[in-house]
Amino acid sequence: MSGDTASAGPVLEARNVSRTFGSVIALSDVNLEVRPGEVVGLVGDNGAGKSTLLKILCGALQPSSGQLLVRGEPVTFHSPKDSRGRGIEVVYQDLALATELSIVENIFLGRERRRAGILGRAGFLDRAAMARDAKESLDSLAIEISDVEARCGLLSGGQRQAVAVARAVRWGSRVLLLDEPTAALAVMEADKIGGLVNEVASQGVGVVLVSHNMPQVHQLCHRILVLLRGRIVADLRRDEIKVEDIVMWITGAALASR
Amino acid sequence: MLRCGPGRVVVTDGEAVGQVRVGGSRAGEVSSEAFDLRQEHEASERERRLARRRRLVEQLQGEGLLFVFVVVFVLMWVSSPYFFTKNNLLTAASVVSVLGIMAVVETLVVIGGEIDISVGSVMAATSVLIGLMVTSGWNVWLATVVGLLFAAGVGAVNGVITVYFKINSLVTTLGTYSIFLGLAYALSNTTTVSIGGEGFSVLGSGSVGSVPVPVFFFIGVWIVGAVLARHTAVGRHVYATGDNYDAAVRSGVQADLLRVGLFVAMGLASGLAGVIVTSELGSAAPQIGDPYLLSVVTAVILGGASLRGGRGTMVGTLVAVAILGVLQNGFALLQFSTYLEDTVLGTLLILAVLTDRLVRRAER
Repeated sequence: MSGDTASAGPVLEARNVSRTFGSVIALSDVNLEVRPGEVVGLVGDNGAGKSTLLKILCGALQPSSGQLLVRGEPVTFHSPKDSRGRGIEVVYQDLALATELSIVENIFLGRERRRAGILGRAGFLDRAAMARDAKESLDSLAIEISDVEARCGLLSGGQRQAVAVARAVRWGSRVLLLDEPTAALAVMEADKIGGLVNEVASQGVGVVLVSHNMPQVHQLCHRILVLLRGRIVADLRRDEIKVEDIVMWITGAALASR
Repeated sequence: MLRCGPGRVVVTDGEAVGQVRVGGSRAGEVSSEAFDLRQEHEASERERRLARRRRLVEQLQGEGLLFVFVVVFVLMWVSSPYFFTKNNLLTAASVVSVLGIMAVVETLVVIGGEIDISVGSVMAATSVLIGLMVTSGWNVWLATVVGLLFAAGVGAVNGVITVYFKINSLVTTLGTYSIFLGLAYALSNTTTVSIGGEGFSVLGSGSVGSVPVPVFFFIGVWIVGAVLARHTAVGRHVYATGDNYDAAVRSGVQADLLRVGLFVAMGLASGLAGVIVTSELGSAAPQIGDPYLLSVVTAVILGGASLRGGRGTMVGTLVAVAILGVLQNGFALLQFSTYLEDTVLGTLLILAVLTDRLVRRAER
């Protein structure tokens, strides 16, 4: 991360966001901001509101009150389509890849490139251009996959996750939301995804990482937000804390000892 | 309570942790010291072995089908002197084209993760409807157009019930199968209505050169289906929808609209099949759809489309249709019982599903 990103304004911001489901308060007065190139960890126990917040950030849920801002501009997301339009992409825990389709086809799913001219208007795909583009996307993240036409079903878990991240980076120019990206992976592959997150951030993309893997959160995130029963109870700087401190905040022990 | 917000600017030295390398590493190449080299090497070796095996199994499945076709073809050739004659092969092609038209669209439906078993019933209902309209004085072509619209409408009903009321398409189309077959028999009083008209008979029994017209319909529908599946965004979306519905929707694919569209196309293809058979027989009859429920589904599954969706090819379906065509023709030539034909079809269907199961297991 270069120095000038610190002075840049937040690329994504949530102001006083609350969300209720009937009488249940899932999120209460949450503030969050992500700057370009910054990796923000979002941690908390099950039911603390991490998923709800992530869904609000990508437009899958709407806040009951509060405001979202993209680059300082107030926005309203009615669906993930709206957030995508603002350069925000999500990588879901369950990958959301079609295993019968190739890597290229997955990266371009729903956003296929068509040929020029009348064939394109008839819906014909420009496979060569998409393959080149996909290869570039993988290369830019130093993901080594030789054949972008390979079916995703033939890839390992780590490779699939890498493809999912590459797809999100390909389209999410500003913010990447990662929902438990390494939950299903072996340690070695999880490390590689960690490397990917660093790489993405170094390209100036803001990253929000939801994870239960505390050592990884501590290692990757510049800041760590702790959610407890729908409220953000701590905004921790990585270099000021140890892994154990995060756990203390998550359980509420740190709060009690104050 | 702590608040996160501006004023706490975090600057860290974001040096990347070595090079990121995700899988697929070339053996022997020196990798980042962050990972245990030997472990990574073994893991990627295993991945490659698995990938090779998967590819092999897929190849075998494709070539196995072609092999079955050759075997059946040669068997018939030696069994009957009439089999390998121009006239017989053209007749066989004409007969199987009706099945082929529906199998092409059913392949897309199955790839999209659904199934439509109402095809034979829609054929019958379309035929009877056209018959009724013609006997009450309608122009036969106008009746045909209305018949096709009706068939597409039944498809739309199948699609809307399945997609928007979230009913398993097997159940939905079993229901409509029964509804429209019942109506077809009731409205026709189980009798056959003859349909004249010089031009109309061309659809089913005419020929261009010596090639029967139904074959052209089949080739046309097949080409459209094959191009759609392979070369268009819509085709990719069909695969994605059947393979991973959630992923497709999250990626912005109009999966629901697409599925309804597939059912409408299926209805239309069934209607066309009904029109062709009606034209060929020169009469409308409620029985015409009976053989097609089993044979269409068998052709599609035998062709390699998976009932779990996301998988299937038009080439596979073409070969499977050819196999069924040769079998049907052979049974007629050798004067085997037509009832036994159903037995053979049923066996093929189960074998095909078992093969699909084995292929999927090999890929895990």
